[in-house]
Amino acid sequence: MTDTKAGQRVGEVTVSHSQRIEAQCYELHHAPPLGALLRVGSPPVYAVVREIWHEPLDPSRPLAPRGMSLESEDEIYAANPQLSAMLTTRFAGTVVGYRAGLTVQFGLPAQPPNLHSFVFTCDPDETTAFANDLGWLRLFLADGSPAGDSALAGFLRQSAAEMIDRPAFLLRAGRTLATELSRDPQRLQAILREMTP
Amino acid sequence: MIARNGQNPDALRRLGVVVGGSLSRGLDVRLDGSADASLEDVAVGSFVTIVGRRQRYFAVVTDLELRAVDDSVRHFPPGGSTYNGAGDFVADVMAGTLAYGQLSVMPSMTAPLNSEAGIEPSTSAEQAKTIPEHFAPVYAASQADIDAVFSAQDADAFALGSPQGMEAASVRLDLNNLASRSVGVFGASGSGKTFLARMLLAGLVKEGEAVSLVFDMESEYGWQGQDNDRRRQVKGLKQLFPSRVVTFTLDEESSRRRGVTPDGVVRIGYDEIEPADIEVLRDLLNLSEVAAATAWNLERHYGSGDWLRSFLALSGAEVGELANEMGVNLAALQTLHRRLSAWSRFGFLADKGEGRGSAGGIIENLQHGNHVVLEFGQYGRNTAAYVLVSNLLTRRIHETWVRRKELADGGQGEEPRPLVIFIEEAHKFLTPEVASQTIFGSIARELRKYNVTLMIVDQRPSGIDSEVMSQLGTRLSCALNDDRDMNAVLMGARDASQLRGVLSRLDSKQQALVFGHAVPMPVVVRPRDYDESFYADMTIPGAPAAATAGMTAVATLPETEAQRMQREIDELFPPE
Repeated sequence: MTDTKAGQRVGEVTVSHSQRIEAQCYELHHAPPLGALLRVGSPPVYAVVREIWHEPLDPSRPLAPRGMSLESEDEIYAANPQLSAMLTTRFAGTVVGYRAGLTVQFGLPAQPPNLHSFVFTCDPDETTAFANDLGWLRLFLADGSPAGDSALAGFLRQSAAEMIDRPAFLLRAGRTLATELSRDPQRLQAILREMTP
Repeated sequence: MIARNGQNPDALRRLGVVVGGSLSRGLDVRLDGSADASLEDVAVGSFVTIVGRRQRYFAVVTDLELRAVDDSVRHFPPGGSTYNGAGDFVADVMAGTLAYGQLSVMPSMTAPLNSEAGIEPSTSAEQAKTIPEHFAPVYAASQADIDAVFSAQDADAFALGSPQGMEAASVRLDLNNLASRSVGVFGASGSGKTFLARMLLAGLVKEGEAVSLVFDMESEYGWQGQDNDRRRQVKGLKQLFPSRVVTFTLDEESSRRRGVTPDGVVRIGYDEIEPADIEVLRDLLNLSEVAAATAWNLERHYGSGDWLRSFLALSGAEVGELANEMGVNLAALQTLHRRLSAWSRFGFLADKGEGRGSAGGIIENLQHGNHVVLEFGQYGRNTAAYVLVSNLLTRRIHETWVRRKELADGGQGEEPRPLVIFIEEAHKFLTPEVASQTIFGSIARELRKYNVTLMIVDQRPSGIDSEVMSQLGTRLSCALNDDRDMNAVLMGARDASQLRGVLSRLDSKQQALVFGHAVPMPVVVRPRDYDESFYADMTIPGAPAAATAGMTAVATLPETEAQRMQREIDELFPPE
C-alpha cells in the first residue's frame, strides 16, 4: 500500500447509496487509509473510509499464485506487468455529511453522489472540522461492525496527530463517543483502546 | 451563563443538573463529571443551590451515589487492562459519561429568582413547596446563599457556627424563636454537646427574652467548665455574665473546694417531698410498684408535709408495726424505708424547707430576669438526688408560672417571663414509664402554654419517652453511636429518612445537625470555638455587677479574696 496525499484525487465512484459509496482507485494499491475523510463529487459529499480491498477486475478470472520460484513479492509484478491492468483496488466509505452552500452539514445528502464522481482525500482543514465536531458519529456507528469501529478509531487517531492539544482532543472525542455508546461500554472501550496506540 | 451582580460568574462552582426526584423524596442531581464537580468535593450535609426557572432552591446533600448508564460497567470496568497502555484514558472518558456521580439533595427553602439579577440572593427565603424542573443547574452554595437562608432575619442574631465546608459563613439562630419551644441537645459522650449547650445558654443570657434555670449536674455551666480535649478551664455563665446569672448550690462544700462562691444555697425540706416524687424515682431507687405506691398510704397516715420525716424516724421494729397498722405489705414498706433512709446522706435535705419553700429564692431571681444555675456538687453523681431536686423545684416553679400566667390571662398582672428549664441525663427519668408522672413530661406536652419550655441535654435520646421527644421544637444533635439513638433524635422529623444519612456521618467531634423550629432548614454546623472571641462576643457593655434578688432568705456565702478583686476590677474598668 502506498500513502496518499491530502487533497489528492484517488478514484471514482462505482457504487453509490445514500449512506455508503464504493470507489475504484486509479492505481492498484493506492487507496486512502482506513478512517480517512473523503470528499466525493460536486457539490461535495463527505465520507469516511471504512473498508479497502483489492481484487481482479474480472470476477470470472480468479487469481492464482505466481511467485513460487521468485525471491520477492515485487518480482511477481515485475515479471507480470499485465497484472496492474488486470487487478484493481476498491474502497468503501460511509457518508457522514455534505456541503450545503458554504457550510458543511452532518447527515445524509438529498441525493447520493453520482457514479463516476471523483473521490478526493480531504484537506487538513476539512478533516479538522469533522474531528472537532463529531455530530456525525451516530451515522458512522450505525452498522455496528468491528471493522467500522476500527476505521473510526483510525480517523480519530489520525486527527489527534494533527491537534495541538492531543490528549484534550482525545478526551473530548472519547466523551462524545461515550454518550453515543453509553449502552455498550465494551464496544466503547474497544474503540477507545484503538484510539490511543 | 448565569450572571450574578457584583460577582464573577466563574466563582459559582457548578456541580451538575437535576435529573429526577420528587418533593417528598428529594431530588437526584447528576454530577457534570468535570474536574470541578467531583463526588469527592461534595460532602453529605453540605448545601447546594438549584437555579430553577422562577425560584432558587436551597438544598442539603443527603446522599451520594455512584451510578452507571449501563450495568455492564460494573462487570467490565476500565483500567486494569493495559492493552495498548490505554487503561487510564478509557477510565477518564468513562468517568462522568457512562459512569457518574449522583447526589441526593433535599430542597428545603426557596427564594424568588430575580430574572434581572440572575441568582442574586434574595432576602426572603421560605419553605419549598415546589421543585425545580428537569435539568435545572445545581451549584455549590455560596456564602451569600447561606446568609440569605440563615441570617436573613437578623444579621446580629446569635451566631452558632458555620455550615459544613463553609468556614466563612454563619448559621444564625433566633434565640427567642428557639426558646419558644422545647429544645433537645443530643450527642454521644465527648461529642461536644456540653459546649453546644453552654453556648446556647450563653446566647440566651445575652440576647434572649427568656430566663433559664439550669440544673447543673456536673457543675460545668455555672462558674466554669472543663475542656477535656484541650485540658483547660473554660468560662461558665457566671463568669461571662456576672450581672445576669445567679448561681445556687446544693453542696456548699464542693463549691468552696472549687473556689467558687455561689449566690445562694438550696435546702429542701422533707415536708416538701410528695409521694409523687417517689413514684418518679421508682426505677432509680429500684422499688417495686407496690413499694412506691406505699408512699401514698404513708401520706394518708401521717398527713402531707410530715409523712417522710416521721416515716424515716421509725426504727426497723416500728416499721413492722406500722405495716400492720396501715394494712400494707411489710416487705414493701421495709424496702421503701431502707431505700429512703439512704437519703439521710443528702446534706441538702433539711427537716423543714425555707419559709417560702426551697424554690423561693430561685423563683424570685427568675422573675427579676436573672438566669439561675443550680450546681449539684457531689450530688450530681447521684441521679436520684438530681431527679428528686430538679423535679421538685421545677414543679414548684411551674406552679408559680401557671398561676401567674392565668392571672395575666385574666387581666391581673404581667405575663411571666418565658422560662427555659435545662436538664441533663433525661433518659434516666423521662423514660416512657415515668415521663408522664414527672413535671418535665407535662411541660413538654403542654408546649409553651405557660411560657415554660425545656432544654434537654442527653446522650441516650432513645431512652426518652417518644412523646416528649416529639414535642421538641428544635433538635441539635452531635455525633451519636447508636442506631436507636439516631432514630430517636429524628423521630417525627420531616425528611427523617434523608437526615438519617447526614446524622450518621457527623464527625465525632464539633459537628452538629440542627433542625426544627429555630432553623429554616436542616443544617450541619461546626459550632464556633468556645474561646476568647466567643467570650468577647458575649460581653454585655457596661453591665452592672450582679444584683441578686430575694437573697435574704437563703444563706449567702462570703466572697473569696480573688472574686472580690475581680469584682472590684470589673467595677472600675467595665469590660467593653
